[in-house]
Amino acid sequence: MTQFITAFFSGSAHGAIYALVSMGLVLVWRGAGVVNFAQMGQAMFTTYIASQLIMHKYSYWIAFVIALLAGAILGAIVDFGLMRPLSARKNSALLNSESMRTTIPVIASLGVLGILKALAGIIWAGEERGFPSPVSTNGIKIGTTTLAFTAFDLFVIGIVFITLLLTTAFFTRTGMGLAMRASALNPEVTRLSGIRINSVRTLSWAISGVASSLAGLLITPSTNLSPNTLDLLLIVGFTAAVIGGLTSLVGAVVGGFAIGYVISFVNVYSSPENVFLAILIFLMFMLFLRPQGIFGTKEVRRV
Amino acid sequence: MLEIKDLVTEFASVRALSGVSFTAATGKITTVIGANGAGKSTLLRTISGLERCTQGAIIWEGLDVTKLSVEGIVRTGIAQVPEGHAVISQLSVEENIELGALFRKRKASADVAKSVKEVYELFPILRERNSQMAGALSGGERQMLAISRALVSRPKLLLLDEPSLGLAPLIAEQIINAINELCRSTGLTVLLVEQNANTALSVADHGVLLALGKVVAQMPASEMIADDSLRAAYLGY
Repeated sequence: MTQFITAFFSGSAHGAIYALVSMGLVLVWRGAGVVNFAQMGQAMFTTYIASQLIMHKYSYWIAFVIALLAGAILGAIVDFGLMRPLSARKNSALLNSESMRTTIPVIASLGVLGILKALAGIIWAGEERGFPSPVSTNGIKIGTTTLAFTAFDLFVIGIVFITLLLTTAFFTRTGMGLAMRASALNPEVTRLSGIRINSVRTLSWAISGVASSLAGLLITPSTNLSPNTLDLLLIVGFTAAVIGGLTSLVGAVVGGFAIGYVISFVNVYSSPENVFLAILIFLMFMLFLRPQGIFGTKEVRRV
Repeated sequence: MLEIKDLVTEFASVRALSGVSFTAATGKITTVIGANGAGKSTLLRTISGLERCTQGAIIWEGLDVTKLSVEGIVRTGIAQVPEGHAVISQLSVEENIELGALFRKRKASADVAKSVKEVYELFPILRERNSQMAGALSGGERQMLAISRALVSRPKLLLLDEPSLGLAPLIAEQIINAINELCRSTGLTVLLVEQNANTALSVADHGVLLALGKVVAQMPASEMIADDSLRAAYLGY
């Protein structure tokens, strides 16, 4: 029973982080049709910025807010400086084929990942450093027993749900949210409605940048910070996004927690070596059950 | 007045429009008819900026809009209803309408509310279904919705790409009549592209006949509808 509770708590805490990564991926996928492999690079880079500020005696919360802003700016720069010029080059025969049009931004995002890692290596010497957490990382005590669940875990889960609520409200209640949904669904009709979809797309990248930055800030207290520590997180987050349907934010969160539980239960009841196998089996099983993802919608064509 | 001057639009090696010139008078319905592949859709898509012309100019009320972006063109008062009842099926009816007015909501929110009310009066069925997904509507209702989305942007020029395509004759007629009434009562300029020449010419003031990317005839619609030789040569009936 103790084992079960431990696995459940640790699954919830990690699942919350995977959910954030997965939400970041879903935001860019929906808004711009790109799987952003640079996402964890952005997270790593902005977390280094926060870490640098904290080293210079700024408070955690100032560093936290600046890192989120940096995440938004970095996301916007990737779109504005790279993705937009790439998609504007319509005259090139290579870019004109449908398969290349979808592949090239993905490859470009891998390039961004490489650049960010190299930059982090140059600026911060690639050193592995710890990263503080704003609240206690000691197990919560009930009476005399200490749970495998910390105030920080609670904080992370809280942040994930606040993010989900805010983004959902933004998408469903505001005009800009409507414009973002519309431009993901049908760019042509959206442009004909007078909406500048290039700006909308940049905003998607910026919001996704904030989500990734948040993921970086929340995972590093338990993993340490180095240019490569967050790589695996992207794979797990992407799996979560696919399970959730790739287009749904709620799906991303559900997928994130599901993967979190799979990982922690395998860790506790089997062994850490089997974790990746378990993720793969879980992914295949879910795709077999619901190929469109838990919250994905089937493409229905009407003629 | 909309002036189309010597417009050329090319796709790779194919010339979809080769030197199209005509004018559409303000407050009137001008219809562009022609067989499949004559370049009618390309003409509208070039005017709204979705396709780029390689030569020629598009002058709208004295303003050269040839090089403006799609979004910029909408802001000059030109709205297009694309082919195929183009609505966003995963958004609700209400959201589709709201989308059309989003770009001017901040500056003219009172007028946006008014224009939304007007389209619901024009097509009352949309008000009844306003919370449904657009994908759940019938073909005719989707076309009404597509027109409404364009109308709430308060256009002065409405470009309609085959609004009757795929609709039952009765519904098609209803939609064409609604457009006709709108033009007569509000002074809206309409450029109507149709394969269904008879229906289009019966409501239009002016007819432009397009064949293989060229204007082969233009005259008052009442004359064009009576010209049997034109019909036989270009429309095949």
